[in-house]
Amino acid sequence: MKTGGWIVLITTWGIVLYMFIFSFRKILKEHEQTREDE
Amino acid sequence: MAKKRQRWSTKLGIILAVAGSAVGLGNFLRFPVQAAKNGGGAFMIPYLIALFLLGIPLMWVEWTTGRFGGGYEHSSAPGIFQSLWEKNRFIKYFGIMGIFGPLLIYIYYVYIESWTLGYAFFSITGQLSQITTNTGFSDFLKSYQGITGGGFFSGTYQSVIFFLITFGVNIFVLYYGIRGGIERLCNITMPTLFIFGIILMVRVITLSAPDLAHPDWSFFNGLGFLWNPDFSALKSATVWMAAAGQIFFTLSLGMGVILTYSSYLKKEDDVVLSGLAAASTNEFAEAIVGGTIVIPAAFIFFGPTGIINVANSGAFDLGFITMPQIFNKMPWGSMFGSLWFSMLFLAAVTSSVSVAQPAIAFLEDEFNLPRNKVVAVFAAVSFLLCLPAIFFLHRGVLDDLDFWGGNFFIVLGATIEIVLLAWVFGIEKAWEEMHLGAKMRIPRIYKFIIKYITPSFLLFILGYWFINDWWKVITMEEMSRADMPYILAMRLVMLAVLVLLAVLVWKAWRKRTMNNYY
Repeated sequence: MKTGGWIVLITTWGIVLYMFIFSFRKILKEHEQTREDE
Repeated sequence: MAKKRQRWSTKLGIILAVAGSAVGLGNFLRFPVQAAKNGGGAFMIPYLIALFLLGIPLMWVEWTTGRFGGGYEHSSAPGIFQSLWEKNRFIKYFGIMGIFGPLLIYIYYVYIESWTLGYAFFSITGQLSQITTNTGFSDFLKSYQGITGGGFFSGTYQSVIFFLITFGVNIFVLYYGIRGGIERLCNITMPTLFIFGIILMVRVITLSAPDLAHPDWSFFNGLGFLWNPDFSALKSATVWMAAAGQIFFTLSLGMGVILTYSSYLKKEDDVVLSGLAAASTNEFAEAIVGGTIVIPAAFIFFGPTGIINVANSGAFDLGFITMPQIFNKMPWGSMFGSLWFSMLFLAAVTSSVSVAQPAIAFLEDEFNLPRNKVVAVFAAVSFLLCLPAIFFLHRGVLDDLDFWGGNFFIVLGATIEIVLLAWVFGIEKAWEEMHLGAKMRIPRIYKFIIKYITPSFLLFILGYWFINDWWKVITMEEMSRADMPYILAMRLVMLAVLVLLAVLVWKAWRKRTMNNYY
């Protein structure tokens, strides 16, 4: 794989993983909170 | 007496359901083929641009619109559109697309879904491991589909049996409704699907070049085939259209599914973070899992020349002809093969129930009918409509349904949705509505994007299609004369369904007006 390929792959995966972790961290935290409240 | 409205039991439940609707065969088969054919890594530039300018804004628009319509006790596009533009008598008829489009997808998608179940079975029982050549796998698929004899199956009865099982599973889930059926299904299948995907990913990553004469046929060079950018491809409008189309297709946008799912939310439930979470789950399955399995695995076994033929053979051939060959060459191939097809089946079943739900929700809500009756009617009608896709597959009926349901109507539907919310309902009100109960703020730039950029992008896609393709499609220019009567007959049946839906919308509103009058 060429350097350009690595740059595109790391950028894409980075964006996707950031979005995924950012959103699910918040949601799972709230999900746990709701369970505890119940 | 009005029925108690269905609701999701948890926020995670609806996120997994929307993600389940979005994650389908396209993530694992269509995406790698599109990327490999359209500039490799360079494809990711228009892809990511389309994700941020088209995909995510439309996701928020659909979640917001659906939740708003749900507040008026509507769970399908006709009622949801009407609640956004109460004064307009005709807007509800535009909402028919939010039922008709997914129904079109359902009647062919369930059949394709049943192939994955059938192939999972053939992998476990070792039937696939007995085939050794590419032609053998091609004949096996054609024989299974009933296109040619091929010597593998006598008639289509095996494919019909798997279709009936798949159809039954879908109806069973739909019968138990939102919370007991769809939410429960997605809570189980989505994590399982990701586990299967990650196991397959690890298997492909750890594959060493099988041919000692070709040490360069490695995983990383396979990854390079998909990700190395060919920037000259960016000059082609087709590449940009393919990227926008992939984003649309993969996120289940414009179908009416997200409208229906989010209509079961409460008014104060968050839609911003949930929409982003659903989109990012889909992208995880597509760009990370989907982009790591198929193309690198095919490169390892077929090399740099063979992979070009594989990529050009299309998504179905890749899934059902190439992948079984790859598994045959691996140790424990039957197990990994059954894991692959089971993963595709799980991805497909969460998508197929989602495209069935808008029609069910329409009959349940607008006619106040009990779910068991509605599901029975839906099962009977959709079963009959599925038959042409099964028995006239070789006549191109399935491809034609895919064009209308999976391409044309989703773009048209999304254009109507965004214009309705951003322009008719008003961007200020829409912005306020979006942030009701929101767990995060949307960057302000998206106000501009939702009002101007996304609708322009969509109008451009529609315009591009009208200029380049519409006459060819309408006149069936690229079809053989022998296939034309079958396609035409199917189109007439679909037109009749469209008219029937328009009559049902008219009747539902007439009933509503009469009830209000008395």
